[in-house]
Amino acid sequence: MINAIFIYSTRGELIVSKLFNNSLKRSISDIFRIQVINNLDVRSPILTLGSTTFHHIRSNGSDSLWIVTVSRTNANSGAIWEFLYKFNAILDAYDLTKEEKLKEDFMICYEILDVVIGAGGIPMDTELGSIASKISVKPPKSGGTSSEPKSSTVANFPGSNLSTSNLSMPKFLTRNNRSMSQDLGTNYPSNFPWRPNGIKYKKNEVFLYVNEKINILVSRDGSILKAYVDGTIDMTTHLSGTPICQFGLNDSPSVEFGDSLWLDTQEFHNKKAVPKAAAGSVMLEDCKFHQCVSLDKFNKERIIKFVPPDGNMELMKYCVRDNLNLPFKITPVVTPCGSTVEYRITLKSLFPNKLSAKDVALHIPVPPGTVDCKINISNGKCKFESEENAMVWRFNKYHGLTENTLSAVTVPTSDTTQLTLQQWPRPPMSLGFEIMMFSNSGLVVRYFRVSDKDEKYRVVKWIKYISKSGSYEVRY
Amino acid sequence: MSDQRIFARYKATEIRAELQNFDAKRSKVSATKRKVALRKIIANLKMGNYNEMVLLYPEMLKFWQVEDDLEVKRICHEYVRTLGAAKPQSAKEALGAVLGDLENKNEEVQIMSLRTLSAVTSLEYINEAFKAVGYVLARRGVPQNLLKTAILLLKYMDDLDHDRVSSTLDSLYDIFERQLASPTVQVAALHTIYAIHEKNTDLKPLRLELDVAMGLLDLLPQLNEWDKAMVLESLTTSAVPQTHSDVCAMIELVLPQLQHANTYVALNAFKFIAYLLNYAEHVNEGLIKRFSNSIVSLLNKPPELEFLVLRNIILLLLSRGASLLKLDVSFFFIEYNDPIYIKDTKLECLYLSADHETLPRILEELVQYATDIDIQMSRKAIRAIGNLAVKLNEEAAHDCVDALLDLLEFGVDYVVQEIISVFRNILRKHPKRFESIIGELVKHTESVQEPEAKNAMIWIITNYSYALPNYLEFFQVFSSNLLEETSDVQFSILTSSVKFFIRNPNYQTEKICIKALKQCTEEINNPDLRDRAFMYWRLLSLAQSPKSHLLSNDSMTKLIDGELPAIQLSTKLDPVILEELELNIGTIASIYLKPVSQVFRNTRTKRLLPSPILNPNKENLKVINDGSTNLNSGAFERVPEWETIGQSDDVSVASPRRTKTMMNDYDKPAEKVNQLKGKRKSSSAGPSTLSRKPSMLVRKLSMKKPF
Repeated sequence: MINAIFIYSTRGELIVSKLFNNSLKRSISDIFRIQVINNLDVRSPILTLGSTTFHHIRSNGSDSLWIVTVSRTNANSGAIWEFLYKFNAILDAYDLTKEEKLKEDFMICYEILDVVIGAGGIPMDTELGSIASKISVKPPKSGGTSSEPKSSTVANFPGSNLSTSNLSMPKFLTRNNRSMSQDLGTNYPSNFPWRPNGIKYKKNEVFLYVNEKINILVSRDGSILKAYVDGTIDMTTHLSGTPICQFGLNDSPSVEFGDSLWLDTQEFHNKKAVPKAAAGSVMLEDCKFHQCVSLDKFNKERIIKFVPPDGNMELMKYCVRDNLNLPFKITPVVTPCGSTVEYRITLKSLFPNKLSAKDVALHIPVPPGTVDCKINISNGKCKFESEENAMVWRFNKYHGLTENTLSAVTVPTSDTTQLTLQQWPRPPMSLGFEIMMFSNSGLVVRYFRVSDKDEKYRVVKWIKYISKSGSYEVRY
Repeated sequence: MSDQRIFARYKATEIRAELQNFDAKRSKVSATKRKVALRKIIANLKMGNYNEMVLLYPEMLKFWQVEDDLEVKRICHEYVRTLGAAKPQSAKEALGAVLGDLENKNEEVQIMSLRTLSAVTSLEYINEAFKAVGYVLARRGVPQNLLKTAILLLKYMDDLDHDRVSSTLDSLYDIFERQLASPTVQVAALHTIYAIHEKNTDLKPLRLELDVAMGLLDLLPQLNEWDKAMVLESLTTSAVPQTHSDVCAMIELVLPQLQHANTYVALNAFKFIAYLLNYAEHVNEGLIKRFSNSIVSLLNKPPELEFLVLRNIILLLLSRGASLLKLDVSFFFIEYNDPIYIKDTKLECLYLSADHETLPRILEELVQYATDIDIQMSRKAIRAIGNLAVKLNEEAAHDCVDALLDLLEFGVDYVVQEIISVFRNILRKHPKRFESIIGELVKHTESVQEPEAKNAMIWIITNYSYALPNYLEFFQVFSSNLLEETSDVQFSILTSSVKFFIRNPNYQTEKICIKALKQCTEEINNPDLRDRAFMYWRLLSLAQSPKSHLLSNDSMTKLIDGELPAIQLSTKLDPVILEELELNIGTIASIYLKPVSQVFRNTRTKRLLPSPILNPNKENLKVINDGSTNLNSGAFERVPEWETIGQSDDVSVASPRRTKTMMNDYDKPAEKVNQLKGKRKSSSAGPSTLSRKPSMLVRKLSMKKPF
């Protein structure tokens, strides 16, 4: 599927090259450099010449690398891009996405490649946790204080400690560990391809982050053209052994199931743990799960049950389109008047007054040929930024249910005419913000439990809700 | 660390010296220094410095014997692989060492050795590779990863010697038919067999026994993401259901995978189910909903994957219309900072998914894009509006035309060019409907500049001359300039001037016509144009001459100025190609929307294998709304009414899809309203407050924490 992998520096210097197929020559890397890297106008992330196809992504950061695959058959692009992003994440965890670092430690990169890609150019395993256990060097960025993995006893789940949940275990969770040949040292495969056996922590901790990005587009007449929330639930686990995690959301099908676990909400003694805006149930448009989640279980009973990999992961992704909690309302009045433009904008927060948003910034585009703006604002700071051709109105902290007003007029250059204003395409205003403990979609984690065969298994659980702006745009 | 850069060209002697330097001492420091020198070798190989590096074989072999370090081992193997591929002859000396590693206790080293054997293209290596793989396959109790590597290597070795590989195929079948090994090894065996069948068109298409296929699907929950996807990929077309209940059972096993976060898994699950639907009696509405949801959530992936998904949406819209996916058009609305390739693809999706219901919203969006700063984007949006007018019926076309006329008033140059160009097609599709707007269009005669727009304008003037009292004036704008035009436009001018003349032979039209004919035959060097001009000329003179009984005026008019056939925009691809593409969802071919054999040689064209229940025509697939679903999607079909619980200050709005929601619906009274005070102040001019008040600056600098 993947015949070769190349990593280039930003300027096109080949740093890592791995050919999986002897029919390829090294010179094929030059073709990509000439056709894509040196070509300023790249209009596609895929390039096919003859029957050779290049897929590429850029790593993030200032000196972003080009990570490229070559394939000579009708390979699956989904697999390749998905692989490239996961590979990039692994490199990032090993801090190898910096050009200088990669040039120093490129052998680690080859080592990683040996593990993630099997013979025949097929991705084998891209889960950071299990990769790290197979590689001689530990990733510097993994926050875990993972001690040496010790070969633990065979994980075996007696049904007794799970009886509280009245659930039968999914098939794969109850399967006993097969005996494996023992010459593999500590890394012999566990029941779960993504979790090595024998992880130990002094203190068991789980962090659950509900991250949401709200995207909205409001048209000139105030109608909402589109509004949706992209959410992810991310998790950081520092747990010993092979625990089973389980949680439920307030999505409407599972509320309908009426399972008794709803009562467990009292588990959160701290009322603040539940976001203010949450109410009732949420219609999840679709959820995508990390491979560790038992999809059958979710399908049948709407319970999210899994044995987590160690460290960080994105547990699920979801999308909500109805009944959103819009956090801000922007009412722009923009009137051209001669060669100048007058703005009157009110910005109102719609979230509860006990919360506050941070890093609120409203970008207000101004017509080309504007040299300055005369601005009056009721609060915050507003500046004309000529390189962006926009006014930026910022607030460090914005309280709930508060209204602010901006009034401004542009100062144009002398050669600006009415016509140029008419032809100004008016790019939308966009708002950026971040609100803690607020859920744009109203999604709440109703209960969350971690169980292990050991009754005394103690876990500290944290749940955090963060709502951010995706593209929050208003036309005027 | 190293005193010298690793990524620089070195001579073999330099590195040799460095290696020898640190060879003597057995300290830790010298070990790391040695490694640095070895890394330099690899870096040089990657830079293509083969001629120098090949001289270091003796040193490498020495390390092979003494060092017991995995990184050194890896470097050695990488060295042999890279040089072995470039200079196969030189690798002979290392063969013994490589084979030695095959006996190593460490599984990782064994795998390395196996992969090295298959990477070098000399006969000795290939022979040994076959021997080694055969040995691993035959032995019992081989470690899982080694076995898997051996199986997967067969796929490449098939290129080298197909006959030798095909003799091992039976033992591979055994692995997953009788479930002899761990799940992941079974998948590897399946994949290898599938890949070999794909490559060798002389083999019969792979077809698995039904219970074997079911057994593999049963494995799904135990596999990791890549293995899952590989099973689904291999089973598409090779697992052929024989009864309708087979279809249901298989779909049920695969359905949960639609929710996988990995695009590869989700799309392959989609592909597999879509493939099964060719054998299905009917399709359940709940299933379509799950399809749509699964696809929609993939649109949140990074841009490259989003692009892939969008291309596949296009594919499905082309092949099945809206019958498998019900997506709201707002998913295809373009975002300001989408990369260009996403914008293009979304535009295409918008065009394809437009129907009467969605047209108003789509038009509103397209008009917005048409005024975008990006000229390319704006042109494409206008073109899309024009194409919509041709694709849909007259009523819808009317809306499109209104939108275009509004844009025309916008008056930007390239917008005008594009609008005039698209109007030609609209008028051809709906000839009588829009006569009233011709006058509006010809106002822009002077401002059309691009050849395509000019052509379109000439065509419009010619065809609607009866509605334009002073059409010749408009026409002369172009005809007076005949010599300077591009050849396309010259052809149009010539044809039109002849048409004017035979429609209405008078002094003025004759003058224009003669002038055009003369210029085309005498002054222009284009032979095609000259020939056409001569042809017209002869036709005209034939009609005037005594031999006019050969060609009546009527028949000449018919010949030159005949009715044009109505145009159809063909969005449909050949159904055979679509069927093939549907079996290749997610692959490179699905991005280009081309049949696989056109891009990649030596690949099998995927076909649906025969079965008693194969649907002859996929258009006939019924969609049913069945409450008692056998697909376990019951939970998704009952959408409860929204209720607000508690929270009096929370104004919630029940917003069924496709009705317009207003921003004001979400409004709440503010508790605190900050009023404007003071006057507008200039924001950038003048020194900042900090520099005006040095004391503040000092405070700011001494502050420890930002708040």
